[in-house]
Amino acid sequence: MTSISPSTRPRPRSVQPRRLLLYISVAVLCAILVFPIYWMLNTSLAPREQLYVFPPALLHPNPVLDSYRTVLADRPIAHWIFNSMLLVGATTLVALLTAISAAYSLSRFRARGATTIGYLILATRLLPTTLLVIPLFILMRSLGLIDNLLSLVLADSTVVIPFAIWMLKGYFDSIPRELEEAALVDGTGHLGALFRITVPLAAPGIVATMLYSAILTWDEYLFARTFLNQANNFTISLGLASFRGEYVTYWNDVMAASLIGTVPMIVLFVLLERFMVSGITGGAVK
Amino acid sequence: MTFIRILSGRTRFAYALLLPALALLGLVVAYPLYSGVLLSFEKADFFGSSLAQRGWTLDNFVRVLGSADFLPSLIRSFAYVLIVTAGALTIGLLTALLLNESFRGRPLARMLIALPWAIPLVVATNIWWWLLDPSYGLVNSTLTSLGVSQQPTQWLNDQIPAFIAVCIVTIWKAYPFFTIMLLAGLQGIPKDLYDAASVDGAGTYRRLRHITLPALRAVVPIAVLLNALWVFREFTVIWVLTGGGPVNATETLAIATYRAAFQDFHFTLAAALGVVTLAISLVGSVVAVRFATRDFY
Repeated sequence: MTSISPSTRPRPRSVQPRRLLLYISVAVLCAILVFPIYWMLNTSLAPREQLYVFPPALLHPNPVLDSYRTVLADRPIAHWIFNSMLLVGATTLVALLTAISAAYSLSRFRARGATTIGYLILATRLLPTTLLVIPLFILMRSLGLIDNLLSLVLADSTVVIPFAIWMLKGYFDSIPRELEEAALVDGTGHLGALFRITVPLAAPGIVATMLYSAILTWDEYLFARTFLNQANNFTISLGLASFRGEYVTYWNDVMAASLIGTVPMIVLFVLLERFMVSGITGGAVK
Repeated sequence: MTFIRILSGRTRFAYALLLPALALLGLVVAYPLYSGVLLSFEKADFFGSSLAQRGWTLDNFVRVLGSADFLPSLIRSFAYVLIVTAGALTIGLLTALLLNESFRGRPLARMLIALPWAIPLVVATNIWWWLLDPSYGLVNSTLTSLGVSQQPTQWLNDQIPAFIAVCIVTIWKAYPFFTIMLLAGLQGIPKDLYDAASVDGAGTYRRLRHITLPALRAVVPIAVLLNALWVFREFTVIWVLTGGGPVNATETLAIATYRAAFQDFHFTLAAALGVVTLAISLVGSVVAVRFATRDFY
């Protein structure tokens, strides 16, 4: 292209400053936007007496792991992480199984009322969680599920399942149905076609949905705060919020605990980030 | 005959696939929504199952809408949604435009820029709580050393700074969603369009103005709406950072509902407030969708 049109020939000279500007802008923006995460790491490695030095050091000369030892000894963080992992696992499993089959149905069969059901599921995003939590609290009390993680598996489904159905429906819509029809002609049932053809083809979408559902559930605070009372039953979100309102705040401890509670999500994110773009837009952008 | 049997079999199969999700959502969404709405018309204020006296009334709505706290909470909710959406959209647009250029290290830059999305809300709140600490926080020490302010700002103890603080944390959590949505929109633009425009002599600005921004019109409304709905319901950031204080300065409708239910234990009043909140987001979304479709098609 460039070699054909003479009007673009003077460009190379102006390209260098532009690229430099681009690299600088990207670097500065990344640095600013990621800085809070760096600050969490930096503070978590600070010795206690360094916390009250003004101005604070941007990089601690002799980092220590004291705060990690302190919080792991003083707080039931292992419990919190274990509870959250259990919760994420159970919620994701329930959400994916129900959402895959529902999304497949909405995507492939134009059953009577299916469109209405689809829009009703989408409309759950309008529901204020602070409204739902009141009757859900009454429900969980009458089911005897207060201080039981099962209450959170159920409650978190209110958010995760509708989300998962719409994401997966977008994915299934993009898979040509001729592939399934070929399988049907070969004598495979609809269920067989779903699991042998569609699910494997939609694997990136399913992975993205899992990532979303995991992050939403790991993040959830409102239901956990309302349904759980005892510190040993806390999820990680609830546990990390419990530093607020204490008499003395040791920032290195708060940041160390916060970082421990973030690492599983960062690992998941770094492993699965490449699936995320198609996932976030699959259901929304056409 | 066989055709009808196959058809009805297909339909039965379609419903059977929907059933597990619908049953679960019925239990945890539809039923609670139904009993929440009933609760808002309930006469007696009750806690748990000890119902004093049954009867239907509009009193809860009269009390909620007539309360002096209602209008300020509503305005705060709108201001919160507006400020966060504007801030997150701006950062999202800027980052998406940069990431749409091709350069070395772009996958890494994309990952770093999207990273706050994966940071748990409570963790984001804790980090900013520390950054905004009035005595030893980095924000105040930077402002002082730059000579911007002499007195340390009491970020979470003064009313306007507390509101700003809540908005900053929420923007930081919200912008990656815009980055990713807008980036997807940008990458859907055919390269030929830019080449053709360059051949016709269009510079960077005119390509942005006439190709890039119009192409984003398909993505921006849906991203703004989804984000606005999320921010309107947002509870965690505000609750953990300020609890709605100081002196109600950060009390949005979501916070007011929760306070009424689980601090004052006025379940019926809280339900009425929640129903009003739901009505507002319903009307708001319908208006937004109408507006968007009229404007863009």
